[in-house]
Amino acid sequence: MTVDHQLSVTELTAGYGGTPILQGLNLDLLPGQITAIVGANACGKSTLLRVMSRLLRPDAGQVTLDGGSIHRMPTRALARVLGLLPQSPVAPEGITVADLVSRGRHPHQGLVSRWRRTDDEAVAAALDATRMSDLADRSVDELSGGQRQRAWIAMALAQDTDLLMLDEPTTFLDVSHQIELLDLLCDLNARRGTTIVMVLHDLNLAARYADHLVALRHGQLLVQGPPEDVLVERTVHQVFGLTSRIVTDPVSGRPMMLPIGRHRTRAESP
Amino acid sequence: MTSTTIGILQRGRRLRRGWRRAMIGGLLALLAVCFLLALMLGQSVTPPADVLRVLLGGDVAGASFTVGQLRLPRAVISILAGMCFGMGGAAFQVMLRNPLASPDIIGISAGASAAAVFAIVFLSLDGASVSGIAIAAGLGVALLIYALSFKGGVAGSRLILVGIGISAMIHSFIAYALARAPAWDLQEAMRWLTGSVNGARLDQAGLLLLVLLVLGGLLLARSRDLEMLRMGDDVASALGVRVGMTRMTVILGAVGLIAVATATTGPIAFTAFLSGPIAARVVGSHGSVLVPAALVGALLVLTGDYAGQFLLPGRYPVGVVTGALGAPFLIFLIIRANRTGGTL
Repeated sequence: MTVDHQLSVTELTAGYGGTPILQGLNLDLLPGQITAIVGANACGKSTLLRVMSRLLRPDAGQVTLDGGSIHRMPTRALARVLGLLPQSPVAPEGITVADLVSRGRHPHQGLVSRWRRTDDEAVAAALDATRMSDLADRSVDELSGGQRQRAWIAMALAQDTDLLMLDEPTTFLDVSHQIELLDLLCDLNARRGTTIVMVLHDLNLAARYADHLVALRHGQLLVQGPPEDVLVERTVHQVFGLTSRIVTDPVSGRPMMLPIGRHRTRAESP
Repeated sequence: MTSTTIGILQRGRRLRRGWRRAMIGGLLALLAVCFLLALMLGQSVTPPADVLRVLLGGDVAGASFTVGQLRLPRAVISILAGMCFGMGGAAFQVMLRNPLASPDIIGISAGASAAAVFAIVFLSLDGASVSGIAIAAGLGVALLIYALSFKGGVAGSRLILVGIGISAMIHSFIAYALARAPAWDLQEAMRWLTGSVNGARLDQAGLLLLVLLVLGGLLLARSRDLEMLRMGDDVASALGVRVGMTRMTVILGAVGLIAVATATTGPIAFTAFLSGPIAARVVGSHGSVLVPAALVGALLVLTGDYAGQFLLPGRYPVGVVTGALGAPFLIFLIIRANRTGGTL
């Protein structure tokens, strides 16, 4: 349906203030698929997402979109292809939902060109898809956590990019809102063919919703592939240092991880 | 479904845009009325007809001097300097997403003021060269604060704290320079400490107008990108804003506005700090706050100067009045930040 863009990471080293977090990482994103990046805290998941969305400059190596380095592309042109929702973004005080979502159209407007009909259509479609139309005139400050996150997703949808990256989009959401949000991203992927890349904390949700899992450890790519290949007991142990049992999720048929701790296991109970 | 949503969008936008236009129109009308009143009222009352005749260049016995020589320069300089302060201050507050990040709190106005005092007292300069030195010093201070608070990106609260420290140092330099001034003049000292339009001359208006047009125009041209910075650097950048470049442009433009106004009237206390938040409450958060902030700044200085001259017992420079307004607001902001656990 849409043009498939190829985003590739080669020999990437990046970090903050000279301390490298990612070291010599290589990755090709699969166009038109949902990819989830998983790993322990501070393994470089967010850093990888920030470099891939040009928020952070690599210390070495590069990120290319269709062969060209994204750090050399005009930022506005790139913003028409690649969207990013950072972790817990902050809305300006007093801004309405409609206004916030409309800002997603920024890269599509020229320096002088005015608001057009297509902009309205994109914003309306984004509001409808996220079921935020009725709240369009409300102030973002007044929304609940779930509604607010939907408003931000709507902004990213209005940007209408072929690639969408999200940094832990389900943080601070209760379980029903998490599922709602991931379903929404699946819809987007199915209807528009949008390539989705997200950092997810919850391994089981990642395995259920992603077509492709990328597991990081200490700033390096440990393993990648379909959930069945990645979510195995050995990998969970390597990534998190955790003993676990993998079963088949009776709902989705995907693998599901059951952690094994020191307590509350069947062997322990009398 | 989508078409009803488009309807909701368009109606909401019309409403907010209409409200914004009405409020900006209201501010303009209020400014015009205050301007006229400032020309009419004083120790004696001049009828509007006489004021108009003087403005058109006519010679009116008794009115030509009071209106043309005393009140007009004061009112014009008040409005232009107030606009510079209001717009420059609001630009900084929007850029750093924090009302406390105003140039008069983080030492940029103080830097310009110190440079102007230095140029006048020690170098015996005046006019445009003082403005030039004030701009250079304002930019210098801005870059110094920026550099000192830079740590893999600029965090608003760190920049504000560094700025407050720098501001305190500069204020002690101003006090030192004034104490060393050969002819110790209280009026002059007040001007450089809190700001005053005493001794305003019409020939100062040209430079203020020029920077308002050039640098104000520059800020307005970047206002859409500036507005996007309110979403945070990451979101703005993801939406195609060149964050670093926008920030440099805004710093240049805003510091220029503040520095030239400061070189003319002194750092009129808290005008830059108050204008943006007041304007945002008046016009709402739809669209850029720069133009309404400029109008509010002009109103603050114009009415503050009038109050300082005629409404209070004794005569005070405008900075004393705006300072008295600004201090409670500063305390309010700090209390609110404490209570909501928000950033400084």
